[in-house]
Amino acid sequence: MAELLIEIGFEEMPASWLPALGEGFASAFASLREKHGLGGDGGASDVRVMWGPRRLALGASVRERQADAETLVWGPALKQAKDAAGAWTKAAEGFAKKNAVAPDALEVRPKDPAKPDELNLLFVKAVPGRPAADVLPELLAALLRSLAFPKRMSWDAWLDDGKGAFPFGRPIRWIVALHGGAVIPFEIFELVNGTKGPSLLKSGRATHGHRFLPRGAGAAPVEVRGFDDLVAKLRERHVLLDPAERAARIAAALKAADAPEHEIAGEWRDLVEWPAVLIGSVPEEFRSLPSEVLETVLVHHQKYVPIPEGGTIARFAAVTNTDGAAGAAIVAGMERVVVARLRDAAFFWSEDRKRPLADRVADLEGVTFHRELGSYRQKAERLVKLVDAMAAAGALAKEDVDGASEAARLCKADLTTAMVREFTELQGVMGGRYLEAQGHPDADVAAAVRWHYHPVSVEETAAPAGAVAGRGERLFAAVSLADKLDTLAGYFSIGETPTGSRDPYGLRRAGQGTIRVLLDFWPGASPDLRALVRGALEAFPAAKPGTAEALDTFLLERLEAVLASRGFAVDVVRAAIGAAEPAALESPREVLLRARALAHVLGEARADFESLAVAFKRARNILDKDAPAAAVDPTLFDHDAERELHAAVAALAGAAGDYAARLVALRTLRAPVDGFFDQVLVMAEDARVRGNRLALLRETLGLFYRIADLSRLGGIA
Amino acid sequence: MNLQEIVFALQRYWGSRGCLVHQPWDVEVGAGTMHPETFLRVLGPRPWNVAYVQPSRRPADGRYGDNPNRLYKHQQFQVILKPAPKDVQDVYLASLEAIGIDPAAHDVRFEEDNWESPTLGAWGIGWQVLLDGQEITQFTYFQQAGGVDLAPISAEITYGLERIAMYLQDVDDVYDLRWNADVRYRDVRHEEEFQLSRYSFEQADVELHRRIFDQALAEGWRVLKLEGGRTVLPAYDWCLKSSHAFNVLDARGAISVSQRAGMILSIRKLACAIAAAWVEVEHARG
Repeated sequence: MAELLIEIGFEEMPASWLPALGEGFASAFASLREKHGLGGDGGASDVRVMWGPRRLALGASVRERQADAETLVWGPALKQAKDAAGAWTKAAEGFAKKNAVAPDALEVRPKDPAKPDELNLLFVKAVPGRPAADVLPELLAALLRSLAFPKRMSWDAWLDDGKGAFPFGRPIRWIVALHGGAVIPFEIFELVNGTKGPSLLKSGRATHGHRFLPRGAGAAPVEVRGFDDLVAKLRERHVLLDPAERAARIAAALKAADAPEHEIAGEWRDLVEWPAVLIGSVPEEFRSLPSEVLETVLVHHQKYVPIPEGGTIARFAAVTNTDGAAGAAIVAGMERVVVARLRDAAFFWSEDRKRPLADRVADLEGVTFHRELGSYRQKAERLVKLVDAMAAAGALAKEDVDGASEAARLCKADLTTAMVREFTELQGVMGGRYLEAQGHPDADVAAAVRWHYHPVSVEETAAPAGAVAGRGERLFAAVSLADKLDTLAGYFSIGETPTGSRDPYGLRRAGQGTIRVLLDFWPGASPDLRALVRGALEAFPAAKPGTAEALDTFLLERLEAVLASRGFAVDVVRAAIGAAEPAALESPREVLLRARALAHVLGEARADFESLAVAFKRARNILDKDAPAAAVDPTLFDHDAERELHAAVAALAGAAGDYAARLVALRTLRAPVDGFFDQVLVMAEDARVRGNRLALLRETLGLFYRIADLSRLGGIA
Repeated sequence: MNLQEIVFALQRYWGSRGCLVHQPWDVEVGAGTMHPETFLRVLGPRPWNVAYVQPSRRPADGRYGDNPNRLYKHQQFQVILKPAPKDVQDVYLASLEAIGIDPAAHDVRFEEDNWESPTLGAWGIGWQVLLDGQEITQFTYFQQAGGVDLAPISAEITYGLERIAMYLQDVDDVYDLRWNADVRYRDVRHEEEFQLSRYSFEQADVELHRRIFDQALAEGWRVLKLEGGRTVLPAYDWCLKSSHAFNVLDARGAISVSQRAGMILSIRKLACAIAAAWVEVEHARG
């Protein structure tokens, strides 16, 4: 075995691509090494891959040469190979000659092991292993070809591997390829007029460090001997090749600056080769801007981490690809960029507030929601109607109706503000902020407007969990639900439904948001989602028949997805959704409670439920065959098993309480159910007896159906 | 460095590296890419290296001269290197030194930012170059122009002159820039910004611009299809005029969401036909 080092040096690769590229590099190499017969016994465990924005590097061991191998060359059937006298035929001699051996040196074997009588001539050809040096250039070409990029570019490059034009993620500028210290010869050519041109670059032993550091000697080539040497030489030249090391350096610097954890810092690691975290300050005059505005400018536009101090955002942390020596000048530049944007934002903040948000509702006429679905003004009117419908259905408390209706009317008005036109991600947020700043008397209305685009994530703890409470939460839930249902009903009515990976209007997210509002935020008994869907569709009379049912199905799928994301097994979710009274869309929260109970009880008494599930399916199949009587008549029983089951069902029929307790109680049915099926012939000849037994089964099933459709429990029956 | 010195320095730098120093195109354009010395010359196989300043009008970005960073018309310094040399990033970085920016004393980064022009049927792969968090250059490897796959690939380097000058002169307001030793940017351009912003947002005759849009496209197609050929350049000028009329209508708020996509498509169709005609001529020349 000898050490292999490959470093692909390229112009800055998008940071978000690098982790997957690193993984692809390692796994493609491991399988190519195996395929080319150069692998050791350790599998892929010795393959080391590291990366940075300008390079992918791999270290591994490979054999010095491939193991020798044999290939089997089959000749004619023995029947054709010898004549009646047992002498070699022409065919046999020809085959032997072709393989440069005497016919007697050939083997005779059955070609198909299943047919040992049908013998053929066989030449076992020895294939000596090739030296690794001969194989590695091919392997390298295949390795480069194997890398998958979200988007490839032409850079006028050509590979001599029979495939020609060689697009890549970014132009390659150098390749270090060493095997046991020797350069693996490899060359990339220019693509000229669609064909191979002069040499573009050759593999070698020289890498390049940081572009600018050390000062005056940045980017000078330096020769390396192997993977560890590469890591060490690069470190001397201001490149941390190991992403984990960069992440650790960043984390330590943020900690030292008292910066809070922030997800944007996770994106920093692969943007730089030599991270230095610098701290800038937010001028006093901008700290009173809404925190969301500061956050947007710092995080979304500049990828900086906001650092709060005394209730405001006073400073920010930024990653640079430097040694920090010129920190002060760099920070001054960063602050200037931040200030320019904040000055814009401050201007919008003061201008927008000059006009009451309520006055802007009329301007929504000029903002298109969707060509076929009208303006945002029309959307806002539909939302008010939907909220009113919720109230009429008794799903909104009296004292909440006016507030919810007001929030629905106002929630889109911020789309006409300069701030939201410039920072679209602040929609909703600014509406709430402007209402507060303009002294709207109802803080709960402002909260509902501020949060109504949420929830966008499925996690139970995701926003606005914890940010809304009491009446504010109730108003938010009503407006958020109305907005999402209107969006879903509108797009479904014009046939814009999500398909596969295509969901340009984010309808799946809207569906999940709908479910989450009802699961996590709706206070008290939730409104019937089916009725709301139909109410929302009234605004779109051109909808094709069947749209409501399509939306029902879609929402059930979203419910399934949300519950699955919370860790419930899919069969448990389906069993809980399949229960009746109330139906799933009537109350998603009941489905959650059922799923929770079912998962819990299954964990404790799996065997009982497996047995009950079998009986459940059997009972259901029988019930499909004939109609049960209207009610059970105990005088028609003639088995004790019938009486026992009937008594057991009757004892449980009135059971109330939580689902888990009821499920546990239902376990007691296992013995009487098993006894019933063992001893009683349900399909009795006497129609009255038969109908009576079926009625008993229906009652038994009914007990379960109120909690779960046990037949959905997969892997059980 | 004042603004004109920056221009001189870039012209000298790129001129000494084999670029033809050209002049701005004399039709309203939104970006230096639309100059025919870029849009047409990147098509076909012949090498081409050029540099020029291009005043770029973006009516919707007008701020009446009130905004310290936003302009109706800004100036781009545009460089085309066809084919892109192997050391193109280093050559670019050296150009920063030519205008007094020492990359080793700053945080200079190439961050992913691909470029696309739906009206020109053009796109490319590249970066925005950040100087201490400020975008100072768009760097693009053109992949397609006018719907035509490009070979060889050109590198396009577009400097935002005002932004760079603000950085170098340490001013926070574009109008405070020194254009030369005595004259400020304000003296040269503020009134123009006000008048052209007001015109685009409030005064432009919408119906007239709709007609200009339609007629410019019609004339572009007419002349492109004349017997005998050699009409690509006038056709392209008309294509640019339709694009500017579109931009004015857009700033004026006269384009609905549904019209928008259709108008962009009709400009692109003409641009693609022009590109195809140009390529045909280039290949005929051999």
